[in-house]
Amino acid sequence: MATNRTYNRRNIFVVYTIIMLIACLLIVRLAYIMVYRADYYGVRAQQLHERERPIKAERGIIYDRNGVEIASNKPVCTISVIHSQIKDPETVIRLLSETLGLSEEKVRKRVEKVSSIERIKSNVDKETADKIRNFDLDGVMVDEDYKRYYPYGSLASKVIGFTGSDNQGIIGLEVDYDEVLQGIDGTILTLTTAQGLEIENAAEDRVEPIAGNNLTLSIDVNIQQYCEQAAKKVLEEKEAKSVKMILMNPQNGEIYSMVNYPEFDLNDPYTLTVQTGVDTDTLTDKEKNDLLNEMWRNPCISDTYEPGSTFKTVIAASALEEGVVKLTDNFFCPGYKIVEDRKIRCHKVGGHGAETFVDGIMNSCNPVFMEVGARVGAENLYKNFKKLGLFNRTGIDVPGEANSIMHKIEDIEAVELATISFGQSFQITPLQLLRAASAIINGGKLITPHFGVSVTNPETGYVQELQYDVKEGALSKETSETMKQLLEAVVADGSGKNAYLPGFRIGGKTATSEKLPRGTGKYISSFIGFAPANDPKVIAIVLIDEPTGIYYGGTIAAPVIADVFSNVLPYLGIEENYSEEEKEKFEIGSFQVPNFLGKTKEEVAELIKIYEFGEIYYIGEGDTVAEQFPLEGEQVNKNSDLILYLD
Amino acid sequence: MAQSENRRMTQKRKRHSYYDYSLLFLTLFLVCFGLVMIYSTSSFNAQRMYGDETHFLKQQALAVLLGITAMLIISKIDYRIFLKRVLGLPVRLVTLIYIGAVGLQVAVLIFGREVKGAKRWIDLGFISFQPSDLSKIATILFVAYVVNLAPRRLDKITGFFRVAVYMAPLLGLIAKENLSTAIVIAGIMVSVCFVASRKKLYFIVVGIICVLVGSLYVFGVGYRSERVDVWRNVETHPKGFQILQGLFAIASGGIFGTGLGESMQKLGFIPEAHNDMIFTIICEELGLFGAIAVILLFVLLLWRLFIIAINAPDLFGGLIAVGILAHIAIQVILNIAVVTNSIPSTGIPLPFISYGGTSVSVLLAEIGVALSVSNQIRNER
Repeated sequence: MATNRTYNRRNIFVVYTIIMLIACLLIVRLAYIMVYRADYYGVRAQQLHERERPIKAERGIIYDRNGVEIASNKPVCTISVIHSQIKDPETVIRLLSETLGLSEEKVRKRVEKVSSIERIKSNVDKETADKIRNFDLDGVMVDEDYKRYYPYGSLASKVIGFTGSDNQGIIGLEVDYDEVLQGIDGTILTLTTAQGLEIENAAEDRVEPIAGNNLTLSIDVNIQQYCEQAAKKVLEEKEAKSVKMILMNPQNGEIYSMVNYPEFDLNDPYTLTVQTGVDTDTLTDKEKNDLLNEMWRNPCISDTYEPGSTFKTVIAASALEEGVVKLTDNFFCPGYKIVEDRKIRCHKVGGHGAETFVDGIMNSCNPVFMEVGARVGAENLYKNFKKLGLFNRTGIDVPGEANSIMHKIEDIEAVELATISFGQSFQITPLQLLRAASAIINGGKLITPHFGVSVTNPETGYVQELQYDVKEGALSKETSETMKQLLEAVVADGSGKNAYLPGFRIGGKTATSEKLPRGTGKYISSFIGFAPANDPKVIAIVLIDEPTGIYYGGTIAAPVIADVFSNVLPYLGIEENYSEEEKEKFEIGSFQVPNFLGKTKEEVAELIKIYEFGEIYYIGEGDTVAEQFPLEGEQVNKNSDLILYLD
Repeated sequence: MAQSENRRMTQKRKRHSYYDYSLLFLTLFLVCFGLVMIYSTSSFNAQRMYGDETHFLKQQALAVLLGITAMLIISKIDYRIFLKRVLGLPVRLVTLIYIGAVGLQVAVLIFGREVKGAKRWIDLGFISFQPSDLSKIATILFVAYVVNLAPRRLDKITGFFRVAVYMAPLLGLIAKENLSTAIVIAGIMVSVCFVASRKKLYFIVVGIICVLVGSLYVFGVGYRSERVDVWRNVETHPKGFQILQGLFAIASGGIFGTGLGESMQKLGFIPEAHNDMIFTIICEELGLFGAIAVILLFVLLLWRLFIIAINAPDLFGGLIAVGILAHIAIQVILNIAVVTNSIPSTGIPLPFISYGGTSVSVLLAEIGVALSVSNQIRNER
């Protein structure tokens, strides 16, 4: 047998040394990774283990001008089961199906499904969820969440808009103020296994969500509701296609209400409101989508139309501003006007005959305005249109605003100029017209119509007032004063007299626009009105789309505004102020009720001659009065009824 | 006189009863540490897959008990028994073991159970094992035996080739199914031959040629194997996932580690963390200090084997000890080099610690042989 020689031992030592050297190199390598590269790989490993679970930030609340919640959040819960953690499936199935009102098979299917997490029901209200949480069942998870909730349902639906599932505005103010309302989502950082299961007791990093800011609007819920009712009433009476209405403060552009009737339910925005002749079940997705988009659009700002006679306010203001017409100028209307080779008719076939400019406005006489328009000329007309903001979007704080469609100035010949002069052959949005009219009656301020008034931070209470552009000098003060008087005359004694409200000074202008293409018998009846005429606090426009039967704006649209104003003006604190003439005409006034007790019928008859009671009712058989209503000393309006009980 | 005679006798008996307890206890310590780490790394997956978090621990503990028993028995048998002819056959026991190993490798190719696309397991119903692990011990003994027959021949390269030719059947069979084991076996063979040879120039020349060819293969512009691609682009290559996850684990450990049982990466991020990647979890849980401590344990263990090798009573015993030393060293080095992405990846378990019944019991048996060699050391130097 060979012996273990010295050189063998030396060789063994060499082998061992080589091994030691390599071991040292490996230790260096390890130290390099574990110390020098620790940050790089360590951070990546950390990212791998951490799961971010977002915590939804509460969306800001939208208030009306009086602090009434229009859009808020409702806590809702999602109930789910984790298969691997369920210990007593039968109890879980029984209790969940009982409390959630689901069938047992349905719950059983979900509970027995082998998956990491299975949703049983979402949008469960908090009470029910709390009940389930109190059962303390293993493997049943209750997750809280917020859902956007609109307490008034369909109120101003197309203005306010709604949000999607990811807390994102889809239409309306919810889109425009998305950044304000959204807030910043928080996160929970948890450690998970490779399968994504959270590790219990692992240190959690929690970043709290920051709730969105609250938004206060200029909308007044009461006014909006009243306007919607008025719109609904006229829509049903006239079997119209739709009714649009805007009420605004002409001094600063705050919009009190914007109605696009029919509205839709903001809490259920994906259900089509009943449309005649459309079977919602047979629609393709695209058709349904188109219909939904149609339902969601806000025609007050997105649709343009030919304004018709309401636009004569702009023409008259331009003419006065340019000094080409005086109120006393005389005109003659034979029922038409020949412009170049065309005979353009007045709405009154027989013609208005000889009339002043004031009469022309009150009669809404087309030949007068064609003449006035020609005097102003296309260039000056467009200069004034521009000053009145008719070439620009108004800049309202809801998305989807359309712009006007005007002739190019170089294309305007005599015929075009004539049609423009009574509000045809071009299109603007109702809101653009309302803004121009506001400038005409507020002393020449071109305001920005808007809804948002202020933004409030719910944490700090800091209130940020929102600022909007106001351009002065769209019109001279004198023209504005004159226009107010002219428009008040239109309502007091002209084509707009159906908007007349005793006790209030109302100005306005009617319009009946024939829709394009002409000759289909489809009209838009509209009226633009404001009050008080001497110091406008509110301006309103109403458009009745495709009314059936009588379609004259003065006949059907003006009374709607009268109705709205009769309620809204007192609500806004604008008191009735009857002129003597009005008191006379409408028998306005009050008196103190005298004493009738103990008086005989003859004596009563004498007294009644002095006081202006309405109907007198005698109740019972007898000669003397035993009881009276109203009581003695009460202040009653003229023409009030009187009830006397005889004995 | 009588007194000195007496002392001489006791001294002789003392020398006679030399037994490397340091090696024994180092081994036992490593194995126990391995069990702890296997429990730590495998409990999550065991719970997930078998519903019993000690599933892998139990399996391994069984193999460890078997291995320790074998180790203790073998350590008391004179290693020279391998050179004896047995059962009246015309071959020595060591040759029989070698032929048996070759036979098992053939058997595994025919009857082997396929796991993940490679036939490496022989299933006997009550027990299944990897013959390639048995082949390692066979290689150590057989190469030591062949070299021992004529150590002078290894002074020339032809002598080395002679050993290689003897080993060729086993190496070829193993390389077909399990390249990493073949590398370990070839490494053992080279180490033993190196120790036996007096002239080492050809080893150096061949070594340099190997390094040159290797670098050309790795860094050359031409064809590159996927394995090399993964190694070079471990962060972007889709197959670098496991190594990258291992690097994450190592780097997460930092200097003092996250604490025993606190590893994140074992929670499914590193597949089968209790196998070849166990060192990464040791790094993550015990930190750089723990990792260096484990490496030092191996260094100590190898030191004891080194002492046994140089003190062995004859060349055969010395070469056996060298073979065992080489086996353990190569596996430790390759394993750590792979998990730190220092070399292209290859599947080699960490001795005594990685999960694997055959591996741990064979290693324990090998330590038994080394102890047996130590038991025959007569004169202390």
